[in-house]
Formats: sequence, C-alpha cells, structure tokens
Amino acid sequence: MSHQGDELSAAQNASGEAGQNADHVRSLAHRLRQRVLRANALWILGVLCVLVIGFSVSNPGQFLTVFNIRNIAISAAILLVLSVGQTYVIITGGIDLSVGSVLIFSGVVDAKVMAAFGGLNAGVGAVVLGLLASLGTGLLWGLLNGFLVTKARVPALIVTLGTFGMALGGAQLLTGGVDVRGVPNVLANSIGIGTVLGVPYLVVIAAVVALVGGVVLAVTRFGRHTYAVGSNVEAARRVGIAVDRQLLAVYALVGLLAGLAGFLNLAHFGTTTISGHAEDNLNTIAAVVLGGTSLFGGMGAVIGTVIGVFIPMVLQNGFVIVGIQPFWQTVVVGAVLIAAVYVDQFKRRARP
Amino acid sequence: MKAKATTCAVGTALLGLGLLAGCGGQGAAQSASGNGGSQPQLSLILGTTNNDFYVTMGCGARAEAKAKGAALDVQGPTEFSADLQVPIVNAVTAKHPDAVMIAPTDSQALIPPMRQMKEAGIKTVEVDTKVADDSLAVSQVTSDNVLAGKKAADEINKLTGGHGSVLVVSNTPGISTSDARGQGFMQEIKKYPGLHGLPIQYNNDDATKAAQIITSTLAAHPDLSGVFATAETAAEGVATGLKGADTSGKVSMVGFDAGPTQIQALKAGDVQALVAQEPYREGQAAVDQALKAVSGKPTVKEVRTGLAIVTKDNLATSGSKYVYKSAC
Repeated sequence: MSHQGDELSAAQNASGEAGQNADHVRSLAHRLRQRVLRANALWILGVLCVLVIGFSVSNPGQFLTVFNIRNIAISAAILLVLSVGQTYVIITGGIDLSVGSVLIFSGVVDAKVMAAFGGLNAGVGAVVLGLLASLGTGLLWGLLNGFLVTKARVPALIVTLGTFGMALGGAQLLTGGVDVRGVPNVLANSIGIGTVLGVPYLVVIAAVVALVGGVVLAVTRFGRHTYAVGSNVEAARRVGIAVDRQLLAVYALVGLLAGLAGFLNLAHFGTTTISGHAEDNLNTIAAVVLGGTSLFGGMGAVIGTVIGVFIPMVLQNGFVIVGIQPFWQTVVVGAVLIAAVYVDQFKRRARP
Repeated sequence: MKAKATTCAVGTALLGLGLLAGCGGQGAAQSASGNGGSQPQLSLILGTTNNDFYVTMGCGARAEAKAKGAALDVQGPTEFSADLQVPIVNAVTAKHPDAVMIAPTDSQALIPPMRQMKEAGIKTVEVDTKVADDSLAVSQVTSDNVLAGKKAADEINKLTGGHGSVLVVSNTPGISTSDARGQGFMQEIKKYPGLHGLPIQYNNDDATKAAQIITSTLAAHPDLSGVFATAETAAEGVATGLKGADTSGKVSMVGFDAGPTQIQALKAGDVQALVAQEPYREGQAAVDQALKAVSGKPTVKEVRTGLAIVTKDNLATSGSKYVYKSAC
C-alpha cells in the first residue's frame, strides 16, 4: 500500500506545482535511486551480468568482441524504442498489443512516401518526409487507441488487440501483401547500417529515446501523472489530474514511438518486413515486466526495461555462439520472466 | 528472513537452469567438433527450424559434414522472417566459422548481414533461397523453382483435363523460391488454352487464410478446377477450404514439398500430386561447396538439385525417395 501513498503524494505535488522546483532538484537523485531499487532493476541487472560473464568465459574471443556487442545492441535497438513506450502504458495499468503492427503500418506509409519522392536515389528531403509520415501515422494509431480506451471505455487489451489486427491488415491492403523495397540509399547507408564514431546510428537513436523517456518519466510532471494514474485512478482524479487526457497522451506516445520504430526498421532492413514483428507486443511486455515494471500499474522505470530488452537478445546471441539449440532461448526467457514477477510480488508483500 | 531465503532459492534455481542449458550446449558443441582444431567449422542457418523441408536439409548437411569430417552447427529462426533471422546471422558471424550455408529469408534484408559475413572472411553458400546480390555467395544451391512451377502447371492440366479456372496460392511475396514457382506456373499455364489462370493469391504463411481464399474464389469462379499451392501452409489451408466447400474431387490440387503432412494428404486424396524437391541433396551439396571453398578449391557457382512429381501411384515406387523427414 505504501507505494500508493507515495504516488498519491506525488500526484498532490504535481497539482501544486509552482514554487517547488528547487525541492525537485534536491530530491531528484534520491528519488531516482529509490525508483531504480523499487523497480527491481538491480536484481535483473545481476542476471544480465551473469549471462554476459558466462558467455564470455565459455566462448572467449567470440562473444565479447566489439563486432558482437555492436550487433547485439543493433538487434535490441528497435525493440527498445517500442519497449520505452510500452513501459509508460504498463505504468498506467494499461497495455498496448498493437505496437508491432503499428510499426509495420508506419513503415509501409514511410516506404510509400519515400518511393513517391524518388525511391533509391531520393535525397534527404524525401527521407525527412518519410520520417514525418511514419511518425504521424504511428501517432494517429496511438491516438485511436487512446481515444477508444478513454472515451469509448473499451478495455485496452481489446482495443489494442483490435488495432493490432487492423494495422497489420491495413499494411497488407496498402501493399497487396508485397513488401515495399527500394529504401533511399542515403537512408540505408546512414541510419540503416551506418555508424557515428563507431556506434551504429540505430543504437544512438534508441539510447536517446530511452534516456529521454526515462528522464521524462522520472522527473517531469508528465511522468508523475503517469505513475499517479496507474497507481490509483480515483485518487489521481480527485487531486485534479486530467486522467483521460493523460491516458490519451500516453497511448499517443506509444504510437509515436512505434512510428519511429517503423522508420528505423525500414532503414535497417531495407524492406517493410510485413511478415515480421508479429511477437513484438509480447516481447516488449516481457522486457518491461523483466525490468521490474508492475503489470498492475503505478510502478516501474525505463532503466529496468533497457535491461529487460537486453536479456533475451544476449541469450539468443550467446546460445547461437555456444551452439545451443535455438529453442532453449524461449525456455530460459520464460523462466526468467516468471522468476522476475515472483521476486516483484514478494518484494511488495515484504514492504512494511 | 524466510522470504529472503526464497529469493535466493529462486535465483539459484535460475542460475542452475542457465548453467544446465550452457553445459548441454557446450557438450553438444564439443562432441560436434570432436577432437577439433584442424577440422573445418561450418554453420548452417535455416530459413526456419520448424519445417520438414528445412529439417531434411539439416539432415543432409549433418550426414555430409560427418562423412567429410567437418564440424557443423545448425541454427535458424522459429519463424520464416528476416527480423528474426538477422540477429542469428550476426551471432554466427561473431562465432566466425570457416564457412556458412544460409537460406536467406528475404532477398533484400539479408544483404547487409551477409556482406558483413563476407567481409569477416567467412565463405558463404546460399542454399534454396538467395539474396538479390549475387556477389556474396561462392555458390548457390537450389532447385529450379521456375521449372517446378511449370511441372505443377503440366500436372494441373493432366488432372483437370485442361478445362476451367486455375489458381495459385502462394506464401508471401518476396521469397525468391515461391515467387519463381508462381511465375513458372503462370508462364506454362498459357500453353493450355482451356485453362484460365487467376491472379496469384497470398496466404502469408497462414493456413486459415488459404482456406478463406479458396472459399471466396469458389464463390467468384464456380468453374475453378485446379489449385497450385506453392508452400505447406497454403496446401493445408486449400485442402481444408475445398473440404469445407464440399467440392473435393471436383477441384484438383497440386501441392508443393513432400513432408509427412503432405504425404498424408496425398494418401487421403486431399491432394492429387506433389512437386517434391530434394532438400536432403541441397544440404549435402551445400556442405560440399562450403568445404571446397574452405580448402581453396574452385566451387560451382550454381548447383541445381532435382525435382519430381509424387502421386499416390508412384509413392511406393519412384516417388518414395523424395519424401521429406521430420527428424534425422
């Protein structure tokens, strides 16, 4: 119960915002530390460390190389962008099953726009238009989700299951089921597979998204309102938080990030991968929960999600390098997931 | 602090599981590489791990690697999809075997990771499918998929008596092999004036969707006399759709591949003929080419493996060797 109290007071703080900024900064470090601990991130970080050390010892010179670390980070990048959004939704006590399909749909719109403005040899202008189209499309799907959840009062699970199908079907309609190719070279060679100071663009972008997402969640009013809504809707409403508007904004944010992920996916693979990303929704939820965010809402942090995204990636990569049957990865991730939630539940009970 | 003890127990159990998996894998890797060292290290990356065609390809590759004294590791995504296959390809590159045999899941998306593989000095052999860049692989092992489509068209002509509308149900566009099958079929069907080829339909690897395609096509074209299903899920769905519409027998179907499910359907009369490839041979040939490349011998740029029509009649005789395996 104590965390609910915390969040309630956070909500009260939020409503009487003015003049408390100095307090904010002072308690910032403390609050961050508390959130990280509370979010279970340390425990799961330990699991990640064990995995990395284990694979480094078993396959020296193969696992812990710049090449391999870079590729693990690239594989994690797109899922991380989606998972940051998913963290927000789950903290509000909601869920978004549509992320993978919105990614595909936005990517298709993006590809069509860039093809219309010159295809393979299109310039930076076309790429920017494509990016805006992709972000805009994702945002619209997110707003639709948010509208249906808040105004039509349809449960988020059902709304986003519906839009999951609609966005995928829509993408297939737009393309006739044929993947759109012909991504401009200027995009493919930069954001797609290029690096800046040795770090792939994809990784830089995902890191920035995670950093901004994490900070906004931890220290801004928007973040506190997100926690407050997920912790106790009624309390949040009573202290004057516009609950519906907050939820709408959160679903819109997830959509926007899915649109960005669609742009990145298209840049990276050079094709719209319509048959892929079917399990992104479950993978992002698993990553968020692994990272200690509670499915019941009100608790969680982006830092945990970052670690949660990397665990399956490291497992898969390590298993391939060691030469273990790929099926083991699914088994182990499942077991870690259950254990993570078990520890989470137990910590809540133990709290005075 | 009983609760703390429980946490510890869970943590330990998890670590145990991780170690167990780790140990099992290492054991397998070691036994595969034998007393290792000078032995060539090969990796085979399948299009997907849960499909009889690729299982049989893996069996062929394993047998050949064993016979030639090479170590072989077989990997693949659980779904036929580029976003799942690319991380596996990158992990294999990090492992740095001497040569890699790969069935790319997309003609475009796999180019950058395969280029990295080539740049890392790993010899690459494409098996069954291929990417749009022919410079990446030292050899391409595949069956003639255009010819396979043509054979299917000839068989449909025989089965239908050369009358009515015919439909191709294909998996997903953008897969080099099934695209070529559809293309070959549509070319060949033009030779038969009594047959009317309908536009190709795609079921996106979903049997339910294939069944829906069939029922709606039957509604629009009651003269439908033949269907060519270019992949396993399409064939399953088409058979279900035809049964549901109670037209089995009136509409002939030619399926692709000869896995246990398809053979069963053939025996049951749901499918009248199967175009079978030789995945076992593809696996063997890919290992041969990979080993040639590793030892610096010239490779054959394009290796074509065989095709056959399997029917109920020849199943016990000439067709039997074309039946795929679901385990080695």
